[in-house]
Amino acid sequence: MGSKITMISDLDIAGGQSTPAIQSHWGSGRLAMQGDSYPENSYELFDQVIGWVRHFLDEESRPLHLELDLVYLNTSSVKAMMDIFDLLEEAHLQGRQVSVEWRYDPRNERIAELADEFREDCSYPFAITPAAAPA
Amino acid sequence: MTREDEKALLARIARLLDTPEHLGHPLYEALEALYLHHRAQQEQLERMITISDRYQQLAMEARQVTQTRYERALRRQQKLSRISDGYQALMRERNQALHEASTHDSLTGLPNRRLIDEWLQRLDGSRCRYTLALLDIDHFKAINDRYGHDVGDRLLVAVSSTMRKALRESDLCGRWGGEEFLLLFTDTALDEAGDIVERLRQQLANVSIRHDNQRLSVTLSAGLSERRDTESHTDTLKRADRALLKAKHDGRDRSLADAKP
Repeated sequence: MGSKITMISDLDIAGGQSTPAIQSHWGSGRLAMQGDSYPENSYELFDQVIGWVRHFLDEESRPLHLELDLVYLNTSSVKAMMDIFDLLEEAHLQGRQVSVEWRYDPRNERIAELADEFREDCSYPFAITPAAAPA
Repeated sequence: MTREDEKALLARIARLLDTPEHLGHPLYEALEALYLHHRAQQEQLERMITISDRYQQLAMEARQVTQTRYERALRRQQKLSRISDGYQALMRERNQALHEASTHDSLTGLPNRRLIDEWLQRLDGSRCRYTLALLDIDHFKAINDRYGHDVGDRLLVAVSSTMRKALRESDLCGRWGGEEFLLLFTDTALDEAGDIVERLRQQLANVSIRHDNQRLSVTLSAGLSERRDTESHTDTLKRADRALLKAKHDGRDRSLADAKP
């Protein structure tokens, strides 16, 4: 096995009214998403994110951490997030260090309940924490 | 014939064929050929059974994989629907909250002009009889100027709260503008509404708030009008406004009804 690592370029997507803001940091092994997500073409958007996660898990052995400040998700965005969490679960079962922190506005407890539904099948650290300042 | 019987028979024949004195017997060659043929067939049969068993095993395993996959997909689908339903409910609640916010005054919690307009427009389409009252706090600007807007706001809240409690279930009241309120009395004639407004004005005059060790209270002027036949609410409203103006002009702290036609 060679030690050569192929990096793909980091994501830096500015959020819009219906699109979450997304930033990835290959160097520090972090992926962050904020805002509402009901984009017109969510597959196009999330394919990039899923691709980045898959690539990082394939190429690196370092920990991966997700920081989520997501509020509203449409069905295809929910599906994409489930896919991402499944990738993390798979990696975790193979001994990789992965973690998620889902932050929510304490005025909106419903978001925490939904994050908890996502967490159901995840055996890796998945924190749901009230954010001090609303996103 | 059981397997054991068959084995015993074959062993017996093998022994017979192994006995040297049988060599040269006319049946020897035929028996040996039959024996070998049977052995070959038996071997083939066993191979076929093994292959068949293996196929069955594979089919079973494939079915199990499919079943597991199906169950997993179903579970995922159910989870997806559940979470998605949750987000939809969230959106619906958000819409309700927005609707509430867009139709109610944030300070007093009373219906705002937008909602009042909706009620009145709905009445335009009916032959419903109703009386409108416009109430305005007297010298409210002076209170704001003298004590500050937060004191004015507290008075508005106190007046609104009393107003809401004092009215009948069927009466509607909303904040029409700054210090102006609109009351809608459906199925109520002018005289009856006039009595209600008069009682209400007396109650409101007793409402006070504390500010720097003094009690502040206000009076209100009112103008009433009853809908004529099927006239539009804007006309009824215009007449109530005219009556209110006259009440103000006549010295405030009173209610006046628009003259009956």
